Amino acid sequence: MEPVAAREPLIQILSVSRRYVRGVDEVHALENVSLSIAAGRFVAFMGPSGSGKSTLMNLVSGIDRPSEGEVLVAGQSLGELDEDELAEWRARHVGLIFQFFNLIPVLDARDNVALPLLLTDLAKSERLRRAETALRVVGLEERTDHYPRTLSGGEQQRVAIARAIVTDPDLIVADEPTGDLDARNAEAILELLRRLKNDFGKTIIMVTHDPRALRFVDHAFHLDKGLLLEGEDAERADRAVQLAAGGGLLSAAGAARPGGAA
Amino acid sequence: MKYAHLVWKNLWRNKLRTAMTGGAIMLAVVLVCLLLTMPAGMDAMLNDFANNTRLTVHNKAGIVYSMPYSFVRKVRQVDGVAAAVAWVWFGGAFEEDGRVTFPNFAVEAEQIGAVFPDYPIKPEQLADFQRYRDGAIVGRQVMNKYGWKIGERVTLKSTVWPVDLDFRIVGVIDNDRAPHFWFNREYLDQALREKGRNGLGIAGTIWVRATDPRQVGSIMRKVDEMSRNSEAETSSETEKSFFSNFFGSLQGLVTIILIVTGLVSLCIVFIAANTASMGVRERAGEIAVMKAIGFPRRVIFGTLLAEAALLSIFAGVAGVLLALGLTGALKAAAGFSEMLGPLGNFIVTPFVVVQGLFLSLFVGMLAGVVPSFGAARKSVVQSLHEVF
Ligand SMILES: Nc1ncnc2c1ncn2[C@@H]1O[C@H](COP(=O)(O)OP(=O)(O)OP(=O)(O)O)[C@@H](O)[C@H]1O
Ligand SMILES: [Mg+2]
Repeated sequence: MEPVAAREPLIQILSVSRRYVRGVDEVHALENVSLSIAAGRFVAFMGPSGSGKSTLMNLVSGIDRPSEGEVLVAGQSLGELDEDELAEWRARHVGLIFQFFNLIPVLDARDNVALPLLLTDLAKSERLRRAETALRVVGLEERTDHYPRTLSGGEQQRVAIARAIVTDPDLIVADEPTGDLDARNAEAILELLRRLKNDFGKTIIMVTHDPRALRFVDHAFHLDKGLLLEGEDAERADRAVQLAAGGGLLSAAGAARPGGAA
Repeated sequence: MKYAHLVWKNLWRNKLRTAMTGGAIMLAVVLVCLLLTMPAGMDAMLNDFANNTRLTVHNKAGIVYSMPYSFVRKVRQVDGVAAAVAWVWFGGAFEEDGRVTFPNFAVEAEQIGAVFPDYPIKPEQLADFQRYRDGAIVGRQVMNKYGWKIGERVTLKSTVWPVDLDFRIVGVIDNDRAPHFWFNREYLDQALREKGRNGLGIAGTIWVRATDPRQVGSIMRKVDEMSRNSEAETSSETEKSFFSNFFGSLQGLVTIILIVTGLVSLCIVFIAANTASMGVRERAGEIAVMKAIGFPRRVIFGTLLAEAALLSIFAGVAGVLLALGLTGALKAAAGFSEMLGPLGNFIVTPFVVVQGLFLSLFVGMLAGVVPSFGAARKSVVQSLHEVF
């Protein structure tokens, strides 16, 4: 039997809606979405473009606030934090990875990875030591003093992953981390993320279009037009993705599970 | 401080742009520094020629004719007159020379200091001059020529008055080119009375000091007006009088200089602000990511502003050094050629240096503050949405 703590959901999203005002229109990016994610899971948000994946991810990581509803992470209601507290919370608890790597071009790999540690009280030598450790985890210990433009896309993304884990956050959130990579590099990144879950017990949320991702994640949430697909709709969406990935043969263990819980 | 590395690296992200922006600020600082030295420099130039707020009054018929002594008191009453002193030619010859080898005058001891405050005479010597009836103040040139010392007694035989006078040297005009020999008017007056003659009822020349150089012209006009139709009409003159007109236009010039300085600065602010906002926009993605990672707004704002400040400090220091170099070169050139002499007056003073540095800092901060604030304030989602 699993310990109680492990069954406690790390993330709870309760009846969340997010609307953007654009000119005179209102865009319903998310409508009444509820879901929960247990600690130590690797889940994907999938769905067509504009379905609200990034919006949901931004809410979970405290980058954005819902128009309605509540987001709880490790028991903390993000709505209770003001802008600066939220920034501090993100710095401490969330590691972020984006599609475009957005490393700082004027800093070498090690300084890029050490960047989030500037927000801590660590001494410079300790910051650099931790950055080097993180680079070792992603297999780039040979590239510490390379600048981003001298690294390949896959390598840059691994630097970004090192940056995301250097603060040892509970939660890693990635928005289309493989979106800009070729198949081989994409798989390497997915494999790396899975290892972070398996070896370090991280909870990982990944927004993706990539059908291959299904082989690596514990669960995929499907969004469409701002709604979370549930029950049969979700199963159908899963099967469609598996089909796209090359026929349901490669379905990862415990993938499609009915309902909104992973 | 831990952000210094990031700020430094960001500053040199685009070397050409940084150099050009820095160059623009630097040139503005040079220009403004040079402009700021001009009012002081011109003032100094004028003082060289016309430290004299002084003018002389003498008989219209010529300097050998005199004016009634009472006229001096009238002159003192004229508006704008700070002090006036009457000089009378003594025409004294020293010992065996037998002829006049330096100009010597009977003057009013209690007035002379007020009319010639710029002459290097020690105050205690001026006081002695008033105390001792037989005291004399002598120019350094004459002192040197005869090897005289303070406290020494000398006798002058007048070639004009029927007296020989015995003087005690109590002071010196400490300028190697000063040829004067001044003594107390009272002394001559009494010596004449003792000879059974009338007292010294005349003034040969009246030296007048105006409170303000701009009033020199009007004083001359009034004095000459006063003497009109008297037995001794006067003529006032000063070679510096035309400078008084100049002083009036200098005020306007200073105003123009300040306006130009302001416009130059403003112009550079716009240029630098444009560059700064370009730089910030170019970095929008990174800034959004940094904010998402958890960098608070004040750090984003602070590092961007620090970058602008750093650039402007560099540029400011370079500009001030360049201005110092330029004025230094002018001064050196002035040393070589008499004609360029006045240019040596344009000196970048410490105050101008401080003004130049503050200007550059102000320009840089003002240019950096708007885009930095905008970048810091924008919400993370908004930035991410715009960038990706
Ligand atoms: N900051 C914003 N301002 C206005 N509208 C926005 C903003 N962010 C998202 N939207 C809108 O909300 C909807 C959902 O956007 P979202 O970015 O979540 O989609 P997505 O599923 O991530 O799409 P994609 O796969 O293209 O990244 C879209 O219609 C989008 O235009
Ligand atoms: Mg998206």
